Amino acid sequence: MNFSNEELLEMYSDIVKSRVLGEKIVEYIYSGKIAGAIHPCLGQEAVSAGILTAFKKSDIKTFGTETHRAQTVMAHRVGWKPFIAELLGRTGGCNDGISGEYHIHDLKNGQLPAAGALGGTWAEISGFAWALKNDGKKRQIGFAPYGDGAISQGATYEAMNIAALFQLPVLFFIENNGIAMSTPVEKQSPLENLADRAAAFNMQGVTVDGDDPVAVAEAVLNGMELAANNEPNVVEVKTMRWEGHYVGDPQKYRDLSYKNDLDSICPVIRFEKRLKALGILDDETIKAVREAQTKEIVDGFDEGLVQNVATKEQVLDYSRVYSNNAGGEL
Amino acid sequence: MSEMSVMKALNLAMFEEMASDEKVICIGEDLGKQGGCWGTFTGLQDKFGINRVLEFPILEAGYTLFSVGAALGGYRPIVEYMFADFVTLGFEGIVDIAAKIHFNSGGVDSCPVTFVLPQGGGGKSGAHHSQSVEAWFANVPGLKIVAPTTPADIRAYYRAAIRDDDPTLFIYQRATMGLTGEVPDVLDEVPSLAKAGKVVKTGADLTIVAYHRALVNVMAAAAIVEEETGKTIEIIDPRVLIPFDKECVFDSVKKTGRLMVAHEAPERGGFGAQIVSWVVENCMNELEAAPVRVAGVNSIIPFGDLEKYLYPSVEDMKAGILKALI
Repeated sequence: MNFSNEELLEMYSDIVKSRVLGEKIVEYIYSGKIAGAIHPCLGQEAVSAGILTAFKKSDIKTFGTETHRAQTVMAHRVGWKPFIAELLGRTGGCNDGISGEYHIHDLKNGQLPAAGALGGTWAEISGFAWALKNDGKKRQIGFAPYGDGAISQGATYEAMNIAALFQLPVLFFIENNGIAMSTPVEKQSPLENLADRAAAFNMQGVTVDGDDPVAVAEAVLNGMELAANNEPNVVEVKTMRWEGHYVGDPQKYRDLSYKNDLDSICPVIRFEKRLKALGILDDETIKAVREAQTKEIVDGFDEGLVQNVATKEQVLDYSRVYSNNAGGEL
Repeated sequence: MSEMSVMKALNLAMFEEMASDEKVICIGEDLGKQGGCWGTFTGLQDKFGINRVLEFPILEAGYTLFSVGAALGGYRPIVEYMFADFVTLGFEGIVDIAAKIHFNSGGVDSCPVTFVLPQGGGGKSGAHHSQSVEAWFANVPGLKIVAPTTPADIRAYYRAAIRDDDPTLFIYQRATMGLTGEVPDVLDEVPSLAKAGKVVKTGADLTIVAYHRALVNVMAAAAIVEEETGKTIEIIDPRVLIPFDKECVFDSVKKTGRLMVAHEAPERGGFGAQIVSWVVENCMNELEAAPVRVAGVNSIIPFGDLEKYLYPSVEDMKAGILKALI
């Protein structure tokens, strides 16, 4: 599959955007501007950039969730400003800052509800994909991502079984960053490639380099096409988490020597070298892209931070809890 | 009017709702040629096809979550668990996902799934097939709980649950599936889930709130006590637990000054405790005696005929009534 120079540069812009967002999330958490457990994407930016490229290039509309480190994809779906405001718990957020980034839900923009206990949304998205198929909606699919940790949950196996049995338009995507909180993937699964689980359901499963945004985009585009033809399938991308599970996690559970030379494993630098070799990126553009992405993100945070926080009345609004007057008092 | 069983009323309600709204679908195990484990889905797949009556493998967690996704996609799933006990596997989908859809979408999206739970004793099926689960869910905001008993109410309130836009648990008792009663040929109006309390028998000396088999046993016991004591007893079938029709119960207690609640679920943390709390908080001045609860034993349900030691019998109800009347 070929990407034009413009697409590759946009892919580069997206990988930088993911990097800057990750850095800013860490910065704002340390400065107390962001509350709650937010998991930055540092080290995994190529995954978000690849997914975004596929979403932009394909005419297939996706409905789904994101892994918690793919905030750039969430923001792409719901809009940058509503996303950042929700992350900050402000009223400009897609749910007035009341749900939080973790529980982001915006169906009109294709964002299906996430689940705190992991595993279940693969089955939820399969149900949504069934509705798409049953309504005869062509070129619309469910996009169901999880990390290497979540897919040990039984519900993911049930979801793959359901999707394969009913031949549903759904793409199961595994963002394998090698570690689930503190447990390395080799202590979670006897398989080298987690996508091999697809074989148990007679589905295609492929594993690609998750630090290469082009490989991710190609694999996602292929998976989306199969899904749109009612062939559910699994795409696994292998990447590496740089941060702890949460910001400030001392990570006593793993060898941190990789931090001594992050440049050698950096997906952003690797992609820069590749684009430079192709002659479509130079240092000046690198600087300009970084500045532009930083400005957009910082402006978004600045704009969000001056917004109000939801009032008690907004939070305890009966009509947020029940759809009609037959619900009983709060 | 026709005489029919609870089982037939369940079947009728689904036929009616599936005919009236093509977005109503059924999800569960053995829903095809078997017509559901209890026969309540008989004929539905023949009539409405395999794309509206979806026969699933044994994966309650998966199909609970699937139903939520289908609801977000515009459908109104009816989801059956063969035994209410099996809903333990669907707990996350109901409690964590379905109940929070409306809230986390900022009040934009609804989750109109009806989770159907055949519960309680009567089947002599032991610890994993006989529990009463309403209190497990009553503590979860965002859910509604519908628990009618008679065939006519089963038909009407099942339809109401299916039509409600919020995630709703429709709980009926397996022990009373054979219970028969008059059911109108045509339901003129599908009722609201609000204000669903019904005074099934009027009286002056004691108010009893009971549902499912406990209601049947209370009716029998009350007739005996009335005969023996000359007292008269008012009996209320709440029909819907969430939202609970408090006014119906308060009005009655303010008249009788006494309250008994009865259900088969274990007493501790049972829904009856909630009803007693509401009444004490609101009718303290009118109460002439401490409210009485008659409920299941706080223990594990044994197999076979031994289950009778767990559930309140007519004799237990009679003892409770006499205690409440002191």
